[in-house]
Amino acid sequence: MASTGTLQFHPISFQLPIWASKHSNLVELRPEFGLSSGGVNRSRLKPYRKLLVVRAVTGSAGCGGEDQNHLDEPVVKSERLTVTVKDRVAKFHGMISSFPPLVFVMNRYSGRNFAIGLCIATAILFITVRAYAARKLKYSRPGSVADLVRRGQLRSDRRGISSPLKYEDPFNNPLVKVGKNNSTIEMCGKVYRLAPITLTDEQQTIHQKRRSRAYQWKRPTVFLKEGESIPPDVDPDSIRWIPANHPFATTASEIDEDMAQNNVNQKHGVPFRIRAEHEALQRKLEALQIEQKLNNLVIDPRNAKDFERPFKEHPRSREQIEQSPFNHQTGDSMPPKSDGAPPISFESKSSSEETQKL
Amino acid sequence: MLSLHHHHHHHRFLHFTPPFSKPLNPKTLKPPKKPAHKIHALLQYNRKPQLAGDTPRVVVITSGKGGVGKTTTTANVGLSLARLGFSVVAIDADVGLRNLDLLLGLENRVNYTVMEVLNGDCRLDQALVRDKRWSNFELLCISKPRSKLPIGFGGKALVWLVDALKARQEGSPDFILIDCPAGIDAGFITAITPANEAVLVTTPDITSLRDADRVTGLLECDGIRDIKMIVNRVRTDMIKGEDMMSVLDVQEMLGLALLGVIPEDSEVIRSTNRGYPLVLNKPPTLAGLAFEQAAWRLVEQDSMKAVMVEEEPKKRGFFSFFGG
Repeated sequence: MASTGTLQFHPISFQLPIWASKHSNLVELRPEFGLSSGGVNRSRLKPYRKLLVVRAVTGSAGCGGEDQNHLDEPVVKSERLTVTVKDRVAKFHGMISSFPPLVFVMNRYSGRNFAIGLCIATAILFITVRAYAARKLKYSRPGSVADLVRRGQLRSDRRGISSPLKYEDPFNNPLVKVGKNNSTIEMCGKVYRLAPITLTDEQQTIHQKRRSRAYQWKRPTVFLKEGESIPPDVDPDSIRWIPANHPFATTASEIDEDMAQNNVNQKHGVPFRIRAEHEALQRKLEALQIEQKLNNLVIDPRNAKDFERPFKEHPRSREQIEQSPFNHQTGDSMPPKSDGAPPISFESKSSSEETQKL
Repeated sequence: MLSLHHHHHHHRFLHFTPPFSKPLNPKTLKPPKKPAHKIHALLQYNRKPQLAGDTPRVVVITSGKGGVGKTTTTANVGLSLARLGFSVVAIDADVGLRNLDLLLGLENRVNYTVMEVLNGDCRLDQALVRDKRWSNFELLCISKPRSKLPIGFGGKALVWLVDALKARQEGSPDFILIDCPAGIDAGFITAITPANEAVLVTTPDITSLRDADRVTGLLECDGIRDIKMIVNRVRTDMIKGEDMMSVLDVQEMLGLALLGVIPEDSEVIRSTNRGYPLVLNKPPTLAGLAFEQAAWRLVEQDSMKAVMVEEEPKKRGFFSFFGG
């Protein structure tokens, strides 16, 4: 029965593609179509009937050759079937012949649809291309901030001062929304269920009492190194013993506390230490001036030479000489002392002069 | 006209003459708040947290255990407070192992520390490092990593510092946040000395909870009663699978009011590496938002009334297909 079923539907399913293919492109061909398709149908049906018979025979042969009457039955059936198929084809043909206006209308509409579709597709394409181009332009516009960021001149994350908040309420903003009945909250696109806090003040006090029993502590105010003796008027509970190898144990009390407090409270002027150092230097200088040492220092011929000459006669100056031997020619008054190193430099200098001349 | 003008001047003069009248803090806007109340109700997005308590509020951020996020909390809460318009001084009291400057990206600008101030090498205002992103945020480091502060001296020094900040010319800061070192050693004692209130940072695991409980006990012994906790690195997915203690479990164990719950967020590490605190990120991230909320509650001396427990599948709208 399954095969008959397929046969029954086959003509129709066969017809449709032809009809579709013929009619999808040409409207004018319609009058011929009715005839031609009918012709095709009739001529095509014969092979089908044969095929069915053959199939039925082979099928029964496969089962066993004994029941010949079974073999006849399908033939009869197929005859009946051809009749039904013929009926159907005729019906279908009639149907098709009744179609023309509809097909014509459909065709007309499909053409318009195509045009509309094309327009939409073009528009979408245009928008996409434009957006892409705009984005490209945004990133590549030379000299823009985005361009600077791209080239690594600016850090995108910390350029300038960050802008003030758009929202100032962290509980009600586009990213945080409390649900209608306060049982949910939406944060950053995720919905969370809320559970109420159940901690009461009594529970809090119970915990405080528990802790006060468990941890009895007095903040240490006196810090003593191990081995030191306890001062007489000090509560032993408030002493913290510092092991000798503690990193902070080495610096006991270099800082004068009163002075430190003054320093913390100083609001204007030169910081204390710097002023003290400055004053100390000043005093030293004055003392030197009084002792006339400074005067000697000024008149000192060696120092005077320093100001006159372009180079200094110090142990360091020799290095300078080594580095730049040309200074000797410009500095006329200085007779070069041959101490080993200078001659080498002179030789090298002369050789370089020779090479330059050559 | 002239007389009116003169009168006006006179009035202003009179207004400013009483030497002991308390100057209005322009940032907290406490006295003008009452007449402007209606406007505040209308402008939801421009509302400001009401500053509760006396300024400066000296808050120590501590945990006991190391690595739970004290410094991250200090940086993010501090900058959130600065963004909300309060002047903040963050003191890195971690003497030997300071990190707050790195987290804030200010490591190259720390020239002077409190040590130099105490020695008299610089003034206090020279040691305060002003953040360029938020100019009402200042960083103060106790010492250079290699220098040594005399033990037992730090506490006093911090009290002096707080007093000096109170008395400075541009006005007392609204918040002084002290980033406490880990442990309960001398550094801890130094850090908690000037504090009036404490923020306890903990993660939902037993090691940090035990330390947190102990530290809370020590703080209470020291007379700091206003202690709130921030539960850091919470993973709702693990709580749902009962692999992690829930925030409510943590609260049951410690019995402290909740200032904030910070979900685990990979952005935290990224922002640490960049030296750019999370709360300045645009668009804001989950943890950044949570830090902002915590800062808001800190200002208002409020605590959480409900906590996020688990993630619910979001109900998708009809147009969510289009990226809604």
